[in-house]
Amino acid sequence: MIIIGEKINGSIPPVAKAIAEKDGELIKHRAKIQADANATYIDCCASVPEDVEVETLHWMIDLIQEVTDVPICIDSPSQYSCIAAIPFCKKPGLINSVSMEGNKIETIFPVIADTKWECVALLCDDKGIPDSVERRMEVFGNIMEKAKEYGIAPSRLHIDPLVVTLSTDEEAFTTFAECCRQIKAQYPDIHITSGLSNISFGLPVRKYINQVFMVLSMNAGMDSAIVDPTNRDMLGMIYAADALLQNDEYCLEYIGAYREGLIGPAPKA
Amino acid sequence: MSQQIQAVADAVCAGKAKLVGGLVQEALDAGCNPTEILNVGMIDAMSIVGEKFKNNEIFVPEMLVAARAMKKGVEVLKPHLGADSTGAAGKMILGTVAGDLHDIGKNLVGMMIESAGFEVIDLGVDVPIEKFIEAVKENPDAKLVGCSALLTTTMPALRDTVAALGEQDFRGNIKIMVGGAPITQEFADEIGADAYTADAASAAQKAKELAS
Repeated sequence: MIIIGEKINGSIPPVAKAIAEKDGELIKHRAKIQADANATYIDCCASVPEDVEVETLHWMIDLIQEVTDVPICIDSPSQYSCIAAIPFCKKPGLINSVSMEGNKIETIFPVIADTKWECVALLCDDKGIPDSVERRMEVFGNIMEKAKEYGIAPSRLHIDPLVVTLSTDEEAFTTFAECCRQIKAQYPDIHITSGLSNISFGLPVRKYINQVFMVLSMNAGMDSAIVDPTNRDMLGMIYAADALLQNDEYCLEYIGAYREGLIGPAPKA
Repeated sequence: MSQQIQAVADAVCAGKAKLVGGLVQEALDAGCNPTEILNVGMIDAMSIVGEKFKNNEIFVPEMLVAARAMKKGVEVLKPHLGADSTGAAGKMILGTVAGDLHDIGKNLVGMMIESAGFEVIDLGVDVPIEKFIEAVKENPDAKLVGCSALLTTTMPALRDTVAALGEQDFRGNIKIMVGGAPITQEFADEIGADAYTADAASAAQKAKELAS
């Protein structure tokens, strides 16, 4: 499972405070604990006004790279901030994200075409989040056409079929899962990802919904996720699901995660 | 409150969509005033629902089933009401600003405001400034305009929308409400909005205050 660690995001109040007060220690600490928890990428989202976003990303990325060499996932709703932040990164990482909205793809794909950068692509377009599987697959088709045009291999794409909230839409998961199956059937090498916590908005004990969403989606083909890797329960679900889905030979990853103390009862202080 | 209206209110609060229609009919048959059934049995009931939601006693789906139940009741009640009784609280124009495609929060706000007795004109998502202005011109009786933005990148569009509405001759006739995840009271004050609320239930409450 590809784990994109979500703990460095300016929409999280303590991180917002750290950004406002230029408290680098908090950013470094969050980078370190996510790296220690085997994050594949460390997401970096400033969530500040666009005119100060690039400088903020620069500051954050430098701090993260001080403590770990886990690649960065540059996370911004602005395509321009995304490409401006690429030179700050010591090694190729992940861009989060493109979609068929506006000129996002035309701005980002040519910049990463001849690099090893990977990219998250959301299945929405200028008309919004498509409500049916058919419409989302239509957007998917358009994205893959663009990827082909710019020479970006499917294995460098992390498709996010988009999660809406279960509390307002009963089909939120079933639509997502059907998209996963169809996408994987067309491109076995492609990655499918999700910033899944949306799913449980408006419901009590959100962790149950989030964890079961993770497991069911992995069964449908999701192999990447934007989550908190220091969440031991969620991480345990991920390792267990990978073992059960035959993605973990001899269950060695699962056992390793246990032995490293990443899953199971928290180690005694 | 009559026993029949209490039964309607209880069913709305509990989200019993299948029962509400029949209970409204029973209330009508018992001679209850249709406007009172609407105001007390439904609108007041929904404001209790909103209050409970705000206090974390109930969850989003429970709020949705309550609104659905109210709709069923209104269907039965409508032929018995005067032409203007539904939406009597006023008219609100609602939309997500240009460049922003998020609509879950905006839809919840629309639903709660409708349940508070307003008529809601929902302009949808990615609404250009001109469309907001056009809508107010086409609906001179609209008292409220609600603008939503969910992204830090569309906060400037929210600012521009409020500013553009502010330049219109009709500005004195409307109140502008703003909301969305990154929006704060400070930001709302800074851009010249009349009100900010953090959730759909508070928005409905605020709308009632502003329109009264």
